[in-house]
Amino acid sequence: MAFNKKFVTGMTFAATISLLAACGGGGGDEGGSEGGSGEQSQGISIFQTKVEISEQLEAAAEAYTEETGVPVEVIGTTGDDYAQQLQIRLNNGTGPSIMSVQNAEVAERLESYLYDLSGEDFVSNIAPDMELMLDDKLVGVPYSVEGFGIVYNTEMVDPADIQDYDSFVSTLEDFNAEGINGFGLSSEAYFLIGHISNYPFSLQEDPVEFMEQLSNGEVTLTETEEFQRFGEFMEAIRDNTPTPLNTTYDTQVGDFAAGQTAMIHQGNWAAGMLDEFEVDFEYGMAPFPLEGNDKLAVGVGSNWAVNAEKDQAEIDAAIEFLDWLHNSETGQRFIVEEFGFIPAMTNIEAGDLDPLSQAVLEASNSGETIPWSHNYYPANVVPNDFTPVAESFFVNEDMTGEELVENLQAAWENAAQ
Amino acid sequence: MANRKKIGWYLIFTVPLLLIFTLIVLVPFVIGIYYAFFQWDGIGANPMVFNGLDNFVRLMEDERFLRSTWLTVLFTVLSVITVNAVGLAFALLVTSKLKLANLARTMLFMPYLIGGLILGYIWQFVFLDVFTLIGDVTGLESIFFNWLNNEDFALFALVFVFTWQMAGYVMIVYIAGIQGIPGEVIEAARIDGASGWQRFLRITVPLLMPAFTISLFLTLSYGFKIYDVNLSLTGGGPANATELFAMNIYNEIFGYGNYGYGQAKAIVFFVIIAAITLTQVYITKKKEVEM
Repeated sequence: MAFNKKFVTGMTFAATISLLAACGGGGGDEGGSEGGSGEQSQGISIFQTKVEISEQLEAAAEAYTEETGVPVEVIGTTGDDYAQQLQIRLNNGTGPSIMSVQNAEVAERLESYLYDLSGEDFVSNIAPDMELMLDDKLVGVPYSVEGFGIVYNTEMVDPADIQDYDSFVSTLEDFNAEGINGFGLSSEAYFLIGHISNYPFSLQEDPVEFMEQLSNGEVTLTETEEFQRFGEFMEAIRDNTPTPLNTTYDTQVGDFAAGQTAMIHQGNWAAGMLDEFEVDFEYGMAPFPLEGNDKLAVGVGSNWAVNAEKDQAEIDAAIEFLDWLHNSETGQRFIVEEFGFIPAMTNIEAGDLDPLSQAVLEASNSGETIPWSHNYYPANVVPNDFTPVAESFFVNEDMTGEELVENLQAAWENAAQ
Repeated sequence: MANRKKIGWYLIFTVPLLLIFTLIVLVPFVIGIYYAFFQWDGIGANPMVFNGLDNFVRLMEDERFLRSTWLTVLFTVLSVITVNAVGLAFALLVTSKLKLANLARTMLFMPYLIGGLILGYIWQFVFLDVFTLIGDVTGLESIFFNWLNNEDFALFALVFVFTWQMAGYVMIVYIAGIQGIPGEVIEAARIDGASGWQRFLRITVPLLMPAFTISLFLTLSYGFKIYDVNLSLTGGGPANATELFAMNIYNEIFGYGNYGYGQAKAIVFFVIIAAITLTQVYITKKKEVEM
């Protein structure tokens, strides 16, 4: 029986050890990239939000590893739940060395994780006012300049026909009569309401100040002219197009590529997908004609940031990678050619751009743009509060544009409190 | 010595499980209770502010949470009824002298083997394309439209898919119960002149009580805790019309960044489920009959 007892203790012990080992294993992986022993070069990991460049970024990471021997791990993302995933990773200690930070609101929340990049060489090349600042620290390097508006099929739509409310609506009505989707949105938060809700904010004289006043209750959306018109636009869109709730980003762009949709509300990032579809018509980007607006909405989609919680060696390695990406020939080639970015750096020349990016670049160079107000919205207001409002607007045919704006007002109050 | 040997075996099987259970269920649970008394955004480096019972007080006035509570109750009640009715019907069907009983049994169980997430996406497609197509073809557009885009029907869609998934599972439980009913009892009843319905109601149902206890418990707790199908089928929409408990808590914590408040909801959620399921088990246990 002594055997048995030993056996039992042994087994229990083994089980315990294997458990501990399993836990240790998790740490070990990290250790591999962190410590990985001193003589080897310090590895880094990247977690970022832009799904469109996932594969290209991995290729860039490989190229970097080949050149320098520094291992780079690119952690996959689905885009939508990036913020949650990042929070989980940061909390359990498996945070990436380089992450993306969307805007100032997010930066404020993550303040203690953001490394001050002010003194680094490459940040001096960031185009004016494009850097992400937190107080007087520079915490984010812009990905690229991006813009959105109405992406239209030139064979079906003449931009002259969508320059104000009346012509826009009559264009929609014409398409509706022909059985063509005149204006496509899609069901995901930002593509349903997030981006398009920018216009009434961005057309204010000082959008940021307006939003502050809104949060303080000094102004209301319902009493603001731009929002009243916005409500009318949304009503016209709902009444003359199939519901966007049945559409995903992919089908929205796909239907456009197939010629079943004449216009979609999208940004220059959609060009990559249109390219994959090998569309056989020309397309362009036009401003959304709210209150006769004739400017594209141009801004920075996201920013590279370095995780300050990592040890100095890893931070340095991360900075070196960003430096390589923005300063070396290979890195710049990746940004321009592979990512298809419109660089937000003065030392990187834009390459051969697709028609959408070309439109954004021209607008950006001429200064004829309106800002991205959604970067200053209360954190997560778009998926949390605006989206349910927009959904109920599209579901209930009898809800008016005015009620939509009232509900957006309530949603804003809920988020800003 | 024999006793010792037994304890040894006992340990082998329980200690690893106990360890795992403690690590991933008990410890987080206790920490969760602790967090429920703080105001915190869930980011490790940011400050946690103790605010006593404020989170629980706030919860009583949170309309979205109360609505979500009502929806969850509605969903659970409806699904418990449909899942068990359909599951029991399936079980009776495949234990009858049907030729294809074995095949049917396998096929009916299959949906359970598909993960809830995938299932939600499959059904999203069914509601979007197949339902609208049937509506177009048959002209019954008032029944066959995209349920997921209707604030009232979206919840029924959820019940429908959950039933489709779970019915096969509780069917197995009922089959086991039905097969455990001695043939002579039923035969005796038949000789006494009991009709099929009477035999079912007076013999099968009382003797199936243990199976009811288990099935009701499983569907009740699964129904309350549902998240995966909810996420992939409706995502809580349209307009939060299908935002059930678990999703509401997730959104509170990760969407609004109210970690402490979300934890408070989770605790309340736990208490409610525990109370309801335990009551149910207590009641149905009393109804069980000894042979």
